[in-house]
Amino acid sequence: MVKDLKQYWELSNQDHPEDIFPMVLTSATQELFDCVADEDVTGESPYKLLEKDDIIQDIKTRAAVSDFSPVKQIVLDYPEDELLLVYDRDFTYGQSFYLVLTPDAKDRILNPPKPETPEVFEKEVVKTPEPKPWISFGSDKEIDEEAFKESREKLLYKFSRVRRKFGVPVCFSDRNTADYLECASYQDSRFSIKQMQRDCGMQAVPRLQSSSAQTQWKFQKNIFTQYTPRELSVEEKENILQLESLKTFCNSVTPRVLQALQQEGIMNVFFDDWKALGTATEDGDWAGKVSEGLMLYQAFTDQKYTKDKKICSVNWHPTIYGVIAVALTAKKEDQLNESAVRASFILFYTFSDPSNPQLLLECPDDIFAFEFCPSDPNIIVGGCINGQVVLWDISAHVTGLQGTQPGKKVSVNTDTCDFHQDLDDNKENKTPIVRYCAVSALDSSHKAPITDVQWLPATFEVTRTGLPVENMYNVSTQVVTCSPDCTIMFWDVRVSNLLSHSASERRQIMDQKTPYSVPDTFKHLDRTWKPLFRVSLPKIDTSGEYAPLKFNMEHYTCNANENGDSSKVIPDYSQLILPSAKTLKALEDVNTKLYIGTEDGEIIYIDWKLGKDDSGRLQSAKPLHCFSIHHWLVNTVQRSPFFKDIILTAGSWNFAIWKEGVMDGPILLSASSEQVCTVGCWSLSRPAVFFIGKEDGSIEVWNLLEKTNEPVQVHSHVTNAKITCIKPWAASSKQHFLAVTDDLGMVRVFEIPKTLYVPSRSESLNVKKYFELEEDRLKDLLRREELWEKQKETEGLKKRTEPDKPVTSLVENEEANVKEYNDYLMLEENVLKGMGLWRAPADTQDT
Amino acid sequence: MAGTEHEEVEETLKRIEAHKGVIGTIIIDAEGIPIRTTLDNSTTVLYARLLRRLTMNARSIVRDIDPQNDLTFLRIRSKKHEILVAPENDYLLIVIQNPCE
Repeated sequence: MVKDLKQYWELSNQDHPEDIFPMVLTSATQELFDCVADEDVTGESPYKLLEKDDIIQDIKTRAAVSDFSPVKQIVLDYPEDELLLVYDRDFTYGQSFYLVLTPDAKDRILNPPKPETPEVFEKEVVKTPEPKPWISFGSDKEIDEEAFKESREKLLYKFSRVRRKFGVPVCFSDRNTADYLECASYQDSRFSIKQMQRDCGMQAVPRLQSSSAQTQWKFQKNIFTQYTPRELSVEEKENILQLESLKTFCNSVTPRVLQALQQEGIMNVFFDDWKALGTATEDGDWAGKVSEGLMLYQAFTDQKYTKDKKICSVNWHPTIYGVIAVALTAKKEDQLNESAVRASFILFYTFSDPSNPQLLLECPDDIFAFEFCPSDPNIIVGGCINGQVVLWDISAHVTGLQGTQPGKKVSVNTDTCDFHQDLDDNKENKTPIVRYCAVSALDSSHKAPITDVQWLPATFEVTRTGLPVENMYNVSTQVVTCSPDCTIMFWDVRVSNLLSHSASERRQIMDQKTPYSVPDTFKHLDRTWKPLFRVSLPKIDTSGEYAPLKFNMEHYTCNANENGDSSKVIPDYSQLILPSAKTLKALEDVNTKLYIGTEDGEIIYIDWKLGKDDSGRLQSAKPLHCFSIHHWLVNTVQRSPFFKDIILTAGSWNFAIWKEGVMDGPILLSASSEQVCTVGCWSLSRPAVFFIGKEDGSIEVWNLLEKTNEPVQVHSHVTNAKITCIKPWAASSKQHFLAVTDDLGMVRVFEIPKTLYVPSRSESLNVKKYFELEEDRLKDLLRREELWEKQKETEGLKKRTEPDKPVTSLVENEEANVKEYNDYLMLEENVLKGMGLWRAPADTQDT
Repeated sequence: MAGTEHEEVEETLKRIEAHKGVIGTIIIDAEGIPIRTTLDNSTTVLYARLLRRLTMNARSIVRDIDPQNDLTFLRIRSKKHEILVAPENDYLLIVIQNPCE
């Protein structure tokens, strides 16, 4: 209750309201009036009624000191006897007590007004509304106005005739109209009222309307029918077959049918010969501008590096578009001059920059041959002029090759690379130079320049005895090199078993530190690399050995090695380990025979597997065949990309095509040309086309299906110098290139025209047939030669023993001829007379 | 006697069947029911139904153009076979041949 009051007062007044007076009571006063704080009056019961007389008494006794002195007058005026003193515990009005000044306030405080209590409503009974009297609001007036009321009584007029005239015939008579007053009707304008407003009734109609219709099935047709065919029973068939009509039918129909059948057998009338005559290239674009010959696409040369050098080997980068690598070697004259030793390089050109190489591979010496690894195009193996085999790893610089800009963009790589290189590189374009990763051991390399290098395909590898075994890694890890020191060596790039090395070598391997910036992929091989095994080439009939220049092996494709991982994960070459020969499965069907072209122009066919000779040592077998076809250095031995057993060899003044398995000789031997054939290569897309390069700088294009005795096209004087290398490349289905290099260090890239790279219809088949034909011809020729030999011998014997035969005289023959002619003339006369066309020749002859 | 007449028909048909490339022959009567066939039943029925309709159509074309003309032979050449149809009187002879190329 106290709280209510307080709140009520707080809401209404900030300060103390008028009817109370806060005051302080000293403890003496408190005791006097029995209102000691917190004893007599507390927070709960703060009210104390004080007698008015007591207060007045106090005031009188203590006068100014009394606490009640400020309210003296109010107290005196107070109408009632008791004043209320409230203990203000919370100091609401500033003091600890306050005195209520008016009786009303006292009443109010002591007897706070009771809050109204809500009344409980009684539950009302629902009653029907009673009709209430209608209160008019003025609407009845409107109705009255609109209502129709009679303004007067209705008038009634009745007209009738006189009774006596009922039923009497009527008589009509005329009267003058003027006598009568007429009332003609006329249009009164007062009454032409235009209706401005009209009441009309409206009715809402639903928007939705449903209606139905019935379709007509005009054309009655079955959708599905199920039926069984009518068949005749066997007796009925028999009956019909015996009918006469059937017999006549057969007889009359048969000749026609036989004729038609025969026609079909003779020829196919619907075959379009004309269309079939054209090859696949001819249908389509005869735009007129299609060139027939090789068109020069780009030429690459670099003044700084290619001066006075010739190119010995050229290779397209297998994966990156438009990148060619060329190996430069000093010309013969410079080779002798030891003092002018310049660093040898392999240059990488890209199509985007024909005059600056993008990458240089540093070689210990001139490189005669190099190859990209087919499994990992970043690994390159090369053969040096001093017989060493060199390995490079260009994985760090591949991005530079792929980019369009030269070394300027590849700033990161060049920084690391140039650190170790010559100073003059810093001044220029910063073409990155890659140092070789590994070279083979000098004492175990070749003793003569390496002239050919090949990677073994990823499908098999060989052991130390030359036995082909399966390749677990499916990457090419072995290299074959040949050199005119009469050996062929097989090398392996993997980490070999260290136990096989001597102690000093092992120490050497450990101590080696690769120079800065050289990738250490082949660190294990550097300078200690030894070949797996060597194949020597003893001559067949004489002593001595062959000096190989180029060789070729068959690429083995195995079917069983589909492990299912199509993603070519190139393993890290530095981690590959040479497996022990015993753990690998031997492959039986690998063709281990090589075709070798030698310095003296011989083609040798030899098996590289080492066999055991009498003393138990491993010895290479004698060559199986040897042919001396070319008269000088053989510079090309290349297998056709379409046929596994067709090989093209070129050397000296002619070239030859061989078929593996035919041991009697080449199936095709070209005529000797005037110029030395310096290189030959097959076309990559047409089985019948190949290119031959000549010493005078011309290129011949041969097409075996068109002409076999001369080239189809001759592009003379492509360069001024000898052509050293030709390599074709299929960049895309529409672009085929041919890289031609020459003695002056220039690389020319030609674009092969469509006619030369799109194969004709069934060209492969035709070429195969042609080769088979040639093979047969060769065999036939050889057979005939034997026959002739024999014949000559027998004839020689015969001639001595037989007498001379009488020779039929010439005159007798003449007489017989004349007689025959006369007989013929008679015949002609008779026939013409029979036909009625006979004209006596004597009449028409001019005298 | 009946047998010999039957044999004549057989003999004639054998000449046709022995020709190079012939796969099968069918004779159907006026209503399209096969009388004699060298192929299996379902194929025969199929050929009979389809070719009879086509032949009737072809004949009507020829006769529409010239009423005094008549269809003597119908040849359908497809990629795989050649179908020869010879109508005469009320019967139809169908021969299927493999073109020899």
